[in-house]
Amino acid sequence: MSVVLEDIVKRFGNTVAVDHISLAVEPGEFVVLLGPSGCGKSTLLRIVAGLEAPESGAVRVDGRDVTALEPRDRDLAMVFQNYALYPHMSVAGNIGYPLRVRKRPQAEIDAEVLKVAAKLGLAELLNRRPKELSGGQRQRVALARAIIRRPKAFLMDEPLSNLDARLRVETRFELKHLQHELGAATLYVTHDQAEAMTLAHRIAVMRDGRVLQFDTPFNIYNRPANLFVAGFLGSPSMNFIGLPGNGTTLGVRPEDVEISPVPFEKGQPATVYAAEEMGNETFIRISLPAGERLTARVAADVRPDFDAPVWYRFRAGRTHLFDTKTTEAIQ
Amino acid sequence: MKSAAKYLVACAALAVSWAPIYWMVTIALKREIDQFASPPLWFAFTLTWEHFHDAFFVRSFGREMANSAVVAGGSTVAALLLGVPAAYGLARLQWPGSLGERVGFWILSTRMLPPIVTIVPLFLMMRELRLLNSLLGLALVYTAFNLPFVVWMMRGFFDEIPRELEEAAMVDGETRLGALLRVVLPLSRPGLAATAVFCLIVAWNEFLFALILSQTDASITLPVGIASRVTQYKIEWGSMSAAGVVAMLPVLIFAAAVQKHLVRGLSLGAVKG
Repeated sequence: MSVVLEDIVKRFGNTVAVDHISLAVEPGEFVVLLGPSGCGKSTLLRIVAGLEAPESGAVRVDGRDVTALEPRDRDLAMVFQNYALYPHMSVAGNIGYPLRVRKRPQAEIDAEVLKVAAKLGLAELLNRRPKELSGGQRQRVALARAIIRRPKAFLMDEPLSNLDARLRVETRFELKHLQHELGAATLYVTHDQAEAMTLAHRIAVMRDGRVLQFDTPFNIYNRPANLFVAGFLGSPSMNFIGLPGNGTTLGVRPEDVEISPVPFEKGQPATVYAAEEMGNETFIRISLPAGERLTARVAADVRPDFDAPVWYRFRAGRTHLFDTKTTEAIQ
Repeated sequence: MKSAAKYLVACAALAVSWAPIYWMVTIALKREIDQFASPPLWFAFTLTWEHFHDAFFVRSFGREMANSAVVAGGSTVAALLLGVPAAYGLARLQWPGSLGERVGFWILSTRMLPPIVTIVPLFLMMRELRLLNSLLGLALVYTAFNLPFVVWMMRGFFDEIPRELEEAAMVDGETRLGALLRVVLPLSRPGLAATAVFCLIVAWNEFLFALILSQTDASITLPVGIASRVTQYKIEWGSMSAAGVVAMLPVLIFAAAVQKHLVRGLSLGAVKG
C-alpha cells in the first residue's frame, strides 16, 4: 500500500504551485510534507486525493495509476484542516458515511461505527451533532471517518492546526500511535516543524513548489541539504555567519554554541545581548565584535547579565558549511 | 425617552404601510353604500360577506386564482430545477479564465432592462409558438424572469457552504452529483426555501406579462382578473377587494414561514466577506 508521485507539475495561472515533484510513500510509512504557506504542499496533497488534476505527471497507489480517477475511486481517506464534518448528520452518521456511500449493510455499518468510536473515545457522543462537539472531539470524528473504511493510504491536511497547543501535543502522540497500529501509508501536510519532526518517518521539506530535501527527521536536522532547510528546522533556528572571502556561510545550531563566563580553550570574546529563560533551558543571544549575533542554547542555571562579557566556541564537528550563492550544503 | 421616540416612528411607519391594506380589507367587508360614505366609516360599519360570494361564486376569481397557482407554482419549480444546477456550476466548477464571472454577470444582466422592452418580442414569440393565452406560455416567461434571481441567490448560498464538505464527501466515495444531492442541498435547504418563496411571490403578483400574454377568460391570472373589474360602467371595488384579500393570504403565509431565511438570504454576504 504505497503512494508514488512521478514528476507532478501543477500551475495556477502563471504561478507554478508544484514544480516537477517526485516522491514515494512506502507501505506503512509516515511522510510529512513540511513547508511555509504557499509552498505547494497542500496542492500536492489535493492532487494525490484527486481534488486537483496535475498538469503532468502521475499518481500511483499500490502500483496502479490513479491520475485520471475520481477521488472516490482512489481508495484514500483524507482528514481536512477544518475537519469538514457533515453538519446535518450525527457523529455516528458522519463516521459511518464512507460505508453508507458504499452501500454496506446497515448492521455492518453500525458495528464498525461502534468499534471505531470506541477506539477513539467517541462512544458516548454518537448521537451528537458536530456543532455540539469540542475542537478535539471534532478532530477525532474526522479521524474516525477516515479510518473506518481501512483505506489504502491516509492524507492529512494540517489536521492538528485548529487545536490548542496542549491538545495538539497530546493528539500528536495519539496520531503517531494510531498510524503505527493501522500500518497504513500516510501523507501529512503541515507547516509546524515540531509536528513534522515528531510524526514523520521521512520529511519532505518544500519551498516554491519544489522538494528541497526528502529524508529522515534525523538527517534533515543534522545534515540539512541547504540554507533554507537548515534555517527552517530547529527552534531557535540555526545561526548563520557569512565567512569573508570564499563565498561560504557557516551554520551552527544554538545547542552547538558553547558559552563560558571566563576565557576557555579556543573561546572567542563576545557580549550578552539578551537572555531568554525557558525554565528548563536558557537561550542567550550574544553580540560578536563584528556586530553579528548568535543564539546559544545553554543550561537553565546560566543567568548572564545584559552586556556581560562571555566567551564562545562551536562544538567540534557540529558546524555546517553552505555555498552562499547556491545555498547548497558543502560536504 | 429615546426608545419611546423610536417606537413612535416605528408605529407611524407601520400605520402608513398598513393603511391601504386595512382599507382594502374593510372595503371587502362593507356594503356598497358604506364604501364611499363621507366621512369614511373607519370602524363602525355593517359587515357583509356578499363581495366574497360575488368574487368567487358569481365572478371567476376562483378559476383565476387556480391559474395563478399553476403558473406561479410551475414556474417556480422550473426555475429551481434549471437555476440550482447553474448556480452550483458557477459557484464550484472551474471555468477557464474569467468566463465564470462573465457568464454570471451575463445571467444577471438579463434583469437589468425594464421588463416592458421585452414585451413585444415575447408576444411575437409566444404567438409563433401558439402559447398565447396558455398557462404554459406564461409559466415559461416567469421561469425565464426568475431564473437569474435563482442563480444569483443560490450561488450565494452555495458559496457559504465550505468546499471541504463536498471534497470530503467525494473522497469518502460520492460522485460530484452525489455530494451535491446528499451534502450540499440538504445544507442549503434554508436558501432553497427562501429562493422558492421569492419566485412564488414574484410570479403570483406579476401583472404586466400576464396582461399582454393572456387575455381569454380561461387563461387570465388573478392580478389581471382583479384589474379587469375596472369596467367601462363601474368599478367593482367590493369584489376586487375581496379577491385582493384572498390573493394576499398565500403570500403572507409563505413569507411568514421562511421569514428568517428570507432576511438571511437577502442580506447574504453582508457578514462574511
